[in-house]
Amino acid sequence: MPHFTLQVTPAGPIVDAFVGVSAARQAALQAAGQQVPMPVRIRALVDTGASATCIDPSVPVALGLTPTGNISMTTPSTGTTPHSADVYDVALLIPGPTFPPLTLPTIPVAAVDLLQAQGFHALIGRDILGACVFHYNGAVGTFTLAF
Amino acid sequence: MALEKELATYRRKLPELKSSEGRFVLIHGDDVADTYSSYDDAIKEGYGKFGLEPFLVKQIQSVEQVQFVTRFVAPHTLADAL
Repeated sequence: MPHFTLQVTPAGPIVDAFVGVSAARQAALQAAGQQVPMPVRIRALVDTGASATCIDPSVPVALGLTPTGNISMTTPSTGTTPHSADVYDVALLIPGPTFPPLTLPTIPVAAVDLLQAQGFHALIGRDILGACVFHYNGAVGTFTLAF
Repeated sequence: MALEKELATYRRKLPELKSSEGRFVLIHGDDVADTYSSYDDAIKEGYGKFGLEPFLVKQIQSVEQVQFVTRFVAPHTLADAL
């Protein structure tokens, strides 16, 4: 099973990743004669406390995306009343120190505010972790993601 | 609000879509295009049929599952940005 191991940072298990348009949107852009935007480099926190993968709204803006979905979400900022969040289809690539990278050509991500102030652009949630093995070794300060 | 018409269509059609619980529905405007077994297939078909026009892909759920994030973040919609 491909995997990589990284150091846990003071902010937690963080990976550098790239977010781009989904494979299907890329094909539609090319068919319409439009330029495909370059993927955006992001910092993402692996977060077992997030049931869905979330992204800062600046990322879909940079990619020229419009929402293709919508979910209900509760967070500490919403209290117990679910709030609506836009969902975007994107491609996610996490290039660890070993080959191959974790590549997800088409996944849904929910837009949430207040991430950048916490030092990253995305939360890798349990929807992605559900297909991975995530090992957090606090004793030596590393984490491993196998996929 | 983004996808307002498509979301209204989803809510209106949900009683008949319930037989496809768990599948992913593709909606364009007032029309339900089809349902698919995977998110990937629905998105692919959405761009294939409608190109860069707005469309909605949503998992069919009689009772919508609420996603939960323990971190202090705020759900965002395009309407929030206006």
